[in-house]
Amino acid sequence: MQAILDAISLGGTYALAALGLGLVFGVMRLVNFAHAELITISAYVMVVTNDLPLLISFLLASLVAALLAILTELAIYRRLRGTGPAIMLIASFGLSVGLQKSYELIFGALPRSAAVAPWMTGSFEFAGLNFTISSLVTVAITIAILLAMGYLVERTTLGLQLRAAATDFKTARLLGVRSNRLIGSAFAISGILASAVGFILVVENPQVDPMFGLNITILALVGIVIGGISSLRGAALGGFIVGFILSILNTFLGNARVYAYSYLFLAVVIILLVRPGGILSKRNEMERV
Amino acid sequence: MMTQGFAAREISKAFGALQVLDNVSLTIKPRETVGLLGPNGAGKTTLINIVAGYEPQDGGTVTIDGAPLDGMSPDKRARAGIARTFQSGRLFNSLTVAENIALGALGVGVSKKIAEERTASTIEILGLASLAPLFAGSLSHGNARLVGLARAVASQPKYLIMDEPAAGLNESEVPRLLEALATIRENIGCGMFLVDHNVGLVAEACDRVAVLATGILIFDGSPQEALANAEVKSAYLGDATFGGLH
Repeated sequence: MQAILDAISLGGTYALAALGLGLVFGVMRLVNFAHAELITISAYVMVVTNDLPLLISFLLASLVAALLAILTELAIYRRLRGTGPAIMLIASFGLSVGLQKSYELIFGALPRSAAVAPWMTGSFEFAGLNFTISSLVTVAITIAILLAMGYLVERTTLGLQLRAAATDFKTARLLGVRSNRLIGSAFAISGILASAVGFILVVENPQVDPMFGLNITILALVGIVIGGISSLRGAALGGFIVGFILSILNTFLGNARVYAYSYLFLAVVIILLVRPGGILSKRNEMERV
Repeated sequence: MMTQGFAAREISKAFGALQVLDNVSLTIKPRETVGLLGPNGAGKTTLINIVAGYEPQDGGTVTIDGAPLDGMSPDKRARAGIARTFQSGRLFNSLTVAENIALGALGVGVSKKIAEERTASTIEILGLASLAPLFAGSLSHGNARLVGLARAVASQPKYLIMDEPAAGLNESEVPRLLEALATIRENIGCGMFLVDHNVGLVAEACDRVAVLATGILIFDGSPQEALANAEVKSAYLGDATFGGLH
């Protein structure tokens, strides 16, 4: 039971990371590798402001990550719009590395550490089963954020415009959708989602180094590809699947857990062979993917 | 005094050595429906693209009620009162018909509440209630064209530009389009610019017809005069659609 809860918890965390990436991809067709550094900066902020109440610390981390996301859009991606996906991709690589090095200069190369929400690392027994508080809190946070995102995407004007832009950004713009505002909003939301991921990760592992957010970002990218890169639901589902499978593999492979990534990517290859456009893709979307 | 109406004056455009438009001037008065005819390659789509801000002209100017639109992006032109439909429909297939139509209204900056009201009224006047909850990707070609038209109408434009709205429609669908155009004219009261190959449709729907041939405006007058004009007929020689009228 604990293994399943852990898998759901990790799946949820990956779903949040994938959702942040998927939002930006939807409006810009940009695979934003620098999303990793948004996760990292939020974790750094929570470590540095560990003396403050948890909520204030988290809100500060969200604010910093959202502002950094908007800044990267304004300073770099906006200037490169229309230059083609390859250039945007390379720019995001460059930005990612540049931010990592900046963090190294600011915070040092060695991990910065602080116990963020130490009460969450405890566990309790219920009905003869052992549960860690962090897993339950992570699941609760994930469900709350996914519900909030579901409301935003399905029920608000911004959400409708985001969905339209994710389908066909050019037509959305031609209809009068304000592209700068929409893209800025997507980046800001992706920053906030990154801070939620940063919070969950830093509770589990309070050793924050400049590459803190890299691993989950790469796996979340795998998730949005297998879920369906042109759909936010697909991105979240794909992220969840990757996290879930990885957690289950780590639990049940025992000493062979070193091969967990191999099995994960084997599963990814099989999924893509069966559904090249991703699990939630439709036939007519495959060309766009 | 401000000039009421939409005007494209002395528009020129060349792609390399090919002069696609040569000093083309065209006006649309408020509530007037103007058709643009021309054989393939005449420059119709280029003119639409220039008017709607998709590509810049080499020379000339575009104004709406006397205010110049030159240099404005398509989204700004949309908010200035110009809406267009697309030859390929360009609906958002993963959104419902109602959501597609709402986007037309939201694009011009109205509140969600007003957009919902406009969406509801557009759906009602164009008789699309049964389609509203369906995904746009599931529509027939004819219905998709109507929804594309509805989406443009929901912005309540001053001027509505339609790029071959009858393309691909079968014989039973064209009368429905004509009916929709009449309804829009009656209920929205915008000026309309209708570009199509279907001479019958243009003649029936429009107050005035302009004809382009090899980038030059060769005729501007009533539909009846256009059908009787020798130069227009000559420009269309070999065009099955025009020939089919007679």
